[in-house]
Amino acid sequence: MSEQTILYIEDNEYNRKIVRRLLSRTSYRLVEAVDGESGVAMAQQQLPQLILMDVQLPKMSGLDATQLLKADQRTAHIPIIVITSFALSGDREKASAAGADSYLAKPYSPRELLALVQKFLPET
Amino acid sequence: MGPGVQSSLDQQALGDPRDAGLEELAAFVERRTPLRVLVRAVAAIRASVHTKLLAAFMIVTLLFIAMAVVSLQTIAIATRQGQLLDEAHELVSLAQQGESALARQMHYTDMALLSQDEVAIAKILRENNQFNDRLAKLEAAGTADPKLVEQVRASQDEAMAVVADIANAIRDRRLGAVTGALLHRQERLDTEITMRVGLLVAAQQNRMAKLRDSVAATNRRSLTLTTVFAVVAVIFAMLCGFIISWSFILPVREAQGFLDKVAAGDFAARISVPNRDEFGTLAARMNHMSAELQRFDAEQRRAAGELGRLNLQLAQTSKAKSEFLANMSHELRTPMNAILGFTEMLIDGLYGEVPGELKEPLTDIQLNGRHLLRLINDVLDLSKIEAGRMELALGEYSVREIVDIVHVSLRSLAAEKGLDFTISVPDDLPVAYGDSGRLTQCLMNLAGNALKFTRVGKVEIGVAVIGPDVVFRVADTGIGIAPEDIEHVFTEFRQADTTVTREFGGTGLGLSITSKFVQMHGGRIWVESEFGKGSTFYFAVPLRAGGEAT
Repeated sequence: MSEQTILYIEDNEYNRKIVRRLLSRTSYRLVEAVDGESGVAMAQQQLPQLILMDVQLPKMSGLDATQLLKADQRTAHIPIIVITSFALSGDREKASAAGADSYLAKPYSPRELLALVQKFLPET
Repeated sequence: MGPGVQSSLDQQALGDPRDAGLEELAAFVERRTPLRVLVRAVAAIRASVHTKLLAAFMIVTLLFIAMAVVSLQTIAIATRQGQLLDEAHELVSLAQQGESALARQMHYTDMALLSQDEVAIAKILRENNQFNDRLAKLEAAGTADPKLVEQVRASQDEAMAVVADIANAIRDRRLGAVTGALLHRQERLDTEITMRVGLLVAAQQNRMAKLRDSVAATNRRSLTLTTVFAVVAVIFAMLCGFIISWSFILPVREAQGFLDKVAAGDFAARISVPNRDEFGTLAARMNHMSAELQRFDAEQRRAAGELGRLNLQLAQTSKAKSEFLANMSHELRTPMNAILGFTEMLIDGLYGEVPGELKEPLTDIQLNGRHLLRLINDVLDLSKIEAGRMELALGEYSVREIVDIVHVSLRSLAAEKGLDFTISVPDDLPVAYGDSGRLTQCLMNLAGNALKFTRVGKVEIGVAVIGPDVVFRVADTGIGIAPEDIEHVFTEFRQADTTVTREFGGTGLGLSITSKFVQMHGGRIWVESEFGKGSTFYFAVPLRAGGEAT
């Protein structure tokens, strides 16, 4: 279990490409999901060490997915960083109410995201 | 609580003067009785209330005057009857005196015959004079039967002839021889005259008795008449008062009922009174008022309905707009995220070593991308504020931290332009309460503008606590604002001068958004500027926004 898996749930292809590239030079293993439902399923199946969750997702919103995973005994311990484009008042509150461990507003700088990921999951 | 309940409560509060007795009386008057007809007829008289009241009082006064006249007349009649009775009494007395004188005359005549004394003759003459005097008076009064008087006179003449014979016989001393004959004549005459005078007396007595009866009858009649007249007058006066007062009470009651209805919101209510006086005018005005109220009410209802529909439409439009904005926020930021992300990673060498000549255009893409993002954020913020969907995230914050964030963020820009960029914050500032994110944005806007519009010199951020407010100050030595432009600087899409926009860039939204956030905190923003020398922007917000206690 030396491999550290990060699950990235995001429907936008370019954002996935950025994160894929960003993490390509690190030791993390990246798995991806493109909607809320499959994201939750993948989390339950793969039990990653960290989840990056977009808010606006097809089929199930990122906040609902976060709530679901935090309510599930198997996945409740996995830290979740919620990424949203609604950088407006109240969104941080909504995210933490759903059980998110951290919050990053779009548009974020890849450097910031990497720093946050490394904070929750130090590279081994 | 319905309007009806409210209205009855109000009546209680006002102390409704209507009691059960008056209600019964009103019901009686309002029934189809002659009284109602009279009341309505009086009400319908085309005269002022003043005139009607005056007329009513005049009628009552005239009734009392008439009563006084009738009473005086009755007294006069009674007095005259009394006088007549007195006169009749006197005549009876005269007749009786005459009768007595006659009796004495006859007695003395008998005495003269028996005693043959001449002294008796003188007494006979005296009594005869007495009798004649009374008879003359009776005759003068004109109440005696003239025929009977004539007969009495004739008898008396004969009696006096007998007396003369007696007197002659006495003087001739031959009375003894004629006594028998004279006595006989005398007795016959005595009987005759006494009978006739008796008739006279009886006639007078009879007359007096009749007169007494007539006086009693007259007095009875007068009393009855006076009583009846008084009773009728009092009834008439009361009726008059009743009718005149009810001709005023009825419209007042109508008005009361009408006003109750209007107060309860029944603007279709109309008042109908027969009065053609001030009450009639008042009723007409009330109807006019109620018609106007009805019109206003209908108009207001129509307007309210229309407003409601419009409001609903607006709400729907506003919701659609808000949803559009939320979507736009995502749609615009998502590609921006990708653009900025890829650019940063390119610059950071994540895609390999960047050739030297590409570094500058990549940095330019990054700068312009960030600028575009700021513009998008500003437009979305402003739209959200205008839609009323912007809410402050209130919490405790440190004023110094805000100033430090702004200072650190803009320090490199100031350094690039070679400007002196300083801050001045007191050490003993208390913990503040507000939306630190938005306040940071405000100060960032002001300081960013100051750096943007200043070519040489310095920009200083200062903070002071004045009363309940914390006042932020951003002073620059920039281009300044012309006096005629100062009032527009906080209006959106207005930059003082379009040439300024070309040289310095910017959307003209920063100050407008700043101003709105300050207002949302319950604060105010203002500027002092000298054209060509620099500007100082201030904004003051409550240290504890939203009335939050320390």
